[in-house]
Amino acid sequence: MTDPKQSITEAEAIEQAKQGHEAAFEVLYHLHKRRVYSLCLRMVSNPAQAEDLAQEAFLQLFRKIGTFRGESAFSTWLHRMTVNVVLMQLRKKGLPVVSLEETLEAEDEAPRKEFGTKDVKLTGAVDRLQLQRAIDRLPPGYRTVFVLHDVEGFEHNEIAQIVGCSIGNSKSQLHKARLKLREYLKFMRAEKAKTG
Amino acid sequence: MTCADVRRVLPEILDGGPEGVFPADFETHVKSCPDCSDLISDLKLISSEARQLAASEEPAPRVWVRIAAELRAEGLIREPDSAPNRPALFPASPPRRWSAWWLAPVAVALLAAGSYVVSHKHAPQVAKQQAPTTPLTTPAPAANSASVSPSAPASALSSAPQQLAKKKSAKPTDVVASAAKPAVEPEPSAEDQQFLSVVSTRAPSMRATYESQLKAVNAHIREVQAYLDQNPGDAEARQHLMDAYQQKALLYQIALDRIQ
Repeated sequence: MTDPKQSITEAEAIEQAKQGHEAAFEVLYHLHKRRVYSLCLRMVSNPAQAEDLAQEAFLQLFRKIGTFRGESAFSTWLHRMTVNVVLMQLRKKGLPVVSLEETLEAEDEAPRKEFGTKDVKLTGAVDRLQLQRAIDRLPPGYRTVFVLHDVEGFEHNEIAQIVGCSIGNSKSQLHKARLKLREYLKFMRAEKAKTG
Repeated sequence: MTCADVRRVLPEILDGGPEGVFPADFETHVKSCPDCSDLISDLKLISSEARQLAASEEPAPRVWVRIAAELRAEGLIREPDSAPNRPALFPASPPRRWSAWWLAPVAVALLAAGSYVVSHKHAPQVAKQQAPTTPLTTPAPAANSASVSPSAPASALSSAPQQLAKKKSAKPTDVVASAAKPAVEPEPSAEDQQFLSVVSTRAPSMRATYESQLKAVNAHIREVQAYLDQNPGDAEARQHLMDAYQQKALLYQIALDRIQ
């Protein structure tokens, strides 16, 4: 049986939500919940906290939905709002939104022969769970830029605007985050090979 | 170009340079250097796999429950058949109907009973410090039954447990979890039954709304009452209980107003 709530379009749901229809809010929530929650989870690596942040992002969105004029994509608007909610939370907790460049300049410039003599290549596919765990291990500043760019698809100029850094800094952070992830993933793979 | 040169330009090239426009010496080096070649393919692999993580996680159902409760509390959700820009609890006032005459005194009595219960039963130490107060009126049966079967609200009231929860430093999750516990529903009081009987003549959607509002307000009263039983000196909780009784009285009043 088809859920009647699912039969309306996003645009219709937005208009109905502006009128205060609960079902419309619910449709919008279900359309975007996975993306919003996943974004929160990737950025804070804590399911309970991610739920609170997702809730706050949706509430902010619904409170302001009357002002949505449709000039930009609704999803873009929502995801921007979500990112802002998360970053505000990170700042409140005193976590760096962007890593301090000067402390990291010397790192990761040269390739490493990690964890053994043989430099294992990440051939084939990267296990999703391992990648998630590796992202969770990233320092918050690296994680933010990596999630925004590689997971969420924001451009460097957007990231620079959102987190308040230069475009060059965003690129640099991203590259270092990827190098760290490679290092973590290779370590995980090597550990798995040892135990397996 | 050396390995160090490749790594220096890599951040720019990986994200900025479309395929085929890499510097010639860059490509030449990468083709002949397994380390650099592996590095680039690994970084591209990580980047492409990361996209699979977007929208990969499903939030728990309680997240929507909490959002909906907050939207109701803030008045952002409106009942379908309420007048535009007016919350469901404050509909336009049609002519009153004499046959529902009982609702008005019950509402007043309910409110009075709420005041009585709040100011006497749960704040003995406060009462001792203040001049003794006389109940506004003798609690009516409806009020008595309400005070015996404490309870909660769907719309405006849902903010109260959250505020209480904040006071108790509990996570919203805990509050929802406790609110979602399948509590044993006490039998409706005689007045509640009469109320339900009257609203049963309304349109099904309105009837359901009244029923759910009554159930919610009763549940809220129960919840606050239970909290007060454990924390009898909590003035804020007493105020919440008073608010809950006022909401119940208001619900009765609205039913009276809307009966045609």
